[in-house]
Amino acid sequence: MTTFAEHLDGLRAADDLVAIDERVHWDTEAAVVASEALRTNCAALRFEETSGTVAFASGVYAGPDQLSSRSNRPWRRIAAGLGMERSASYVDLLETLSTWETTPLDEAVFVDPAAETDAGDDLYALGLPTVDGEGRQSITQGVIAVERDGTTSWAPVRGTVHRGSLLRVTVPRPFLDWCDGERAASISLGVSAATLIAALQGWTQDRTAPGVPERAAGLADVPLARADGRVVPAGAEVRIDGVARPTDDAVVGPEATWERPTETATVAVDADRIRLREDPTVPFVPLGAPLADDVHLASLVEAATLYRRVNSYWGVSPVSWVQLPVESRLGICLVSSEILYAGFDWQLANALFSFSEYFDKVLVLDEYARPTDLARALDDMWVKAHPGNDWIFSDPNAPAATAPVYRRDGETGSRLYISAIWDPRWDEDYIAPRVTFESSFPENVRESALDRWALLKEDDE
Amino acid sequence: MTVDSFREYLQRLEARDELVRVADPVSWNLEASAITMLANEEDDRIPLFESVEGARLVGDPYRGSQRRPWDRIALGMDVPPDTARREFYDETIERLQDQRDPTTVSRSDAPCKEVIDTGDDVNLLDYPWPYIHAGDGGRYSNLHTLVTPDLDSDWVDYSYHRAMIHDSETASVLLLAGEQTPNLYYYKYERRDEPMPVAIVVGAEPAVQYSSVMWIPTGRSEVEFAGGLKGSPVELVPCETNDLRVPASAELVIEGEIVPNVRRDEGPFGDYFGYMHGPRRSMPALQVTAITHRERPIIPFCVEGTGVGYTENSTSSMEIGCVGPDATLGLRAGGFDVDRCVPWQSTPRTVYVVSTDSTAPGDLHELANFIFTTWGMLHVDFFVFVDADVDPLDQRAVLEALALHADPDEDFHQFGVESMPKVPLNIYQTPSEKGDAQTGTSKAKTAKAYIDATREDEAAVDTATDAADAETRYWARTLLTEAGATPDRPTEFDAGAEP
Repeated sequence: MTTFAEHLDGLRAADDLVAIDERVHWDTEAAVVASEALRTNCAALRFEETSGTVAFASGVYAGPDQLSSRSNRPWRRIAAGLGMERSASYVDLLETLSTWETTPLDEAVFVDPAAETDAGDDLYALGLPTVDGEGRQSITQGVIAVERDGTTSWAPVRGTVHRGSLLRVTVPRPFLDWCDGERAASISLGVSAATLIAALQGWTQDRTAPGVPERAAGLADVPLARADGRVVPAGAEVRIDGVARPTDDAVVGPEATWERPTETATVAVDADRIRLREDPTVPFVPLGAPLADDVHLASLVEAATLYRRVNSYWGVSPVSWVQLPVESRLGICLVSSEILYAGFDWQLANALFSFSEYFDKVLVLDEYARPTDLARALDDMWVKAHPGNDWIFSDPNAPAATAPVYRRDGETGSRLYISAIWDPRWDEDYIAPRVTFESSFPENVRESALDRWALLKEDDE
Repeated sequence: MTVDSFREYLQRLEARDELVRVADPVSWNLEASAITMLANEEDDRIPLFESVEGARLVGDPYRGSQRRPWDRIALGMDVPPDTARREFYDETIERLQDQRDPTTVSRSDAPCKEVIDTGDDVNLLDYPWPYIHAGDGGRYSNLHTLVTPDLDSDWVDYSYHRAMIHDSETASVLLLAGEQTPNLYYYKYERRDEPMPVAIVVGAEPAVQYSSVMWIPTGRSEVEFAGGLKGSPVELVPCETNDLRVPASAELVIEGEIVPNVRRDEGPFGDYFGYMHGPRRSMPALQVTAITHRERPIIPFCVEGTGVGYTENSTSSMEIGCVGPDATLGLRAGGFDVDRCVPWQSTPRTVYVVSTDSTAPGDLHELANFIFTTWGMLHVDFFVFVDADVDPLDQRAVLEALALHADPDEDFHQFGVESMPKVPLNIYQTPSEKGDAQTGTSKAKTAKAYIDATREDEAAVDTATDAADAETRYWARTLLTEAGATPDRPTEFDAGAEP
């Protein structure tokens, strides 16, 4: 599923999309319903009855938290959105995102844009949901496309509608610098996961990799289209064409996660044409809500980046996985690794601090930790790390992390890493075995128990 | 209607289709435990093994469902299992404040006296004590209530200390100094060279089992609190070979004495934090003097260490459902303004989360200092404080608070470096650091800490949801329910927001 419409169909087929048939207003109501659904791990939502020309969807790239159930996979909708199995393993997802495979545009699939119905230039008529307390219609998930000197790039956007045809959007400053002044632009809403991820990989934090369409096509065969010479996501539900110009007027309201570690700027977009696909659905994100889509996307992009970096840093690949749990809103980083030698945990944690601006806490786990068992990883933090010796604080001279809410004044502070590993200097006799089904019972007992339990369940049916 | 016996509790489980009977013979030697672990991990029904060498076993009967770990605890108190968690805590606290004195019944009216074995007839090995994990030091009774009298007063202490079976009439009991019963043994009975009379009550009625894991103040008898929990007095019956009284409805009672200055091996054991801890250590020895029981007794056991993080066994569920409300009440009784105190689900006993509005300078230190000095705190290494509007039962919300609001510079407070006592059940100390101390404490000291994950100030309200009123949020929840958007986590934390 490489277009947003196909992704929605996939969610429906997987019984992971609920239709809200009751009329829901774009002002506050939609955001409150979406937040509540995220908070309680509900399916994604499609709001069928709205007062504008588009339907809304929420939670389409979000997912349930791992702490409420061992079977939850927060990344399942993103995996599906990339055309992978919903049951794709976390590490497979990291591998996919970290390879940075690209497809040259001359090898990419170009089709006519799906959004071809002219809807004038009245942005208010779309009825986009508000996500702040001020009642401004908002854009919370989408990309802006700009062409410069024959190259098109896409960047993530967050913005608000200000007059009938005026949008003000936040973009990464490096992207604006790359644009080099006023440019014709298209804002695409209702785009694939690959499109959003590629835009984050191209321009957030300190990255400047303009080849975003090529990256998106490399990630998941994203069909492309051309609009006034710009390359745009062909499957977008809504495309707003206009002129983007830098402005000093900030976009207010809750930030998207990608903005926190990224230097941003604002552009004003004078819309001169709005195009819709048939029965369009605009996804939105109730920014600031726990477990929202922007947190999930940023988490995976950052984890994949870190996974790639730490596994190519020391000439070996000791790291099994890296995770910035969405449950923590990226305020803590978990890394599971072979501990190569005494002190490697220190190197690993501090490398992660160096490579990312999101967090100031790292939990180092051994290679047996599973990325699908966050609760167990946290248990290791509390019971395996010595509270006196293995909670290691740096001097208070580190720059502030961007995910936490404290120290927003530019002051330096400490970082913390927790070493929930076995000391490589310990004798084997000192290592406590984990209690698991595999370790607690010999093979014949396991087989017998599994057979008997299966029979009991069968009898019950 | 009160739940007057363990058997009645199991009947209630069965009536709710939450119990599965295993009729074919099952071995106590790992097999019952393996099947129970599967049930636990799959959040499935409670297995009752009906044919286990002369008796019956039931695996993790109090294990809550993954999303509502207190629901079966509630069932045992005759509280509707679908009760909201806040309501459950409030109801439990209210009942704990309404203690009832126990009554005494005659032996003929006590089901636990249906069979009485004393003298040469006593044989612990007649019963299918389970061998729970490969690597355990032996077979265990690990879901029971230990009844012990104080040597200097009328106080009778109910507690929860596992026993490893050694032979037909002896066992070792895990007594870790710092807790009430071990302190009675080490610092009173043993110092005076006197045996400590005890009774191990196996399959006690739920309220008794619950009270035995709670932090009931020293000098206060758990059985009175159990009466409060169940809503009527607990019926007791005199023991056969000592002066203790025990719950009459129990499945099985082991009478005996823990003798002074005698030790037997105990452990290793796959324990509550999910690891097989060691080393094998010496613990006080129980000499059995009588065993009384119902016909075909049902012996409950707990597969400790299973499903870490998801309260997938009896003890971790009891921590959430019993210790949490009790600790909340205890802290309030101590004069602290706390909303709730809840064990961190991922690792009950090691970490507690306290939600409170009382976060003025010094408040949290005082609260942590108070808690760390109480009995039983040798297990606990951390307290995490969150604001009162953060649900401490919601691990996600607590993790978020920890990640976003706990500043490594200012909010992590250690109580000294390696200055505090610790039980040797931990895994972060080496065996030589744990030692083989006669009182069951670690040879090495540890650090303990509290983490202030409260907000420094109120975040500016700028999201639509923050700005929405309670009526709109309630409408949203109703809308989702009607649309069939089934939540997989409890939604009722702020049910009080209903208009």
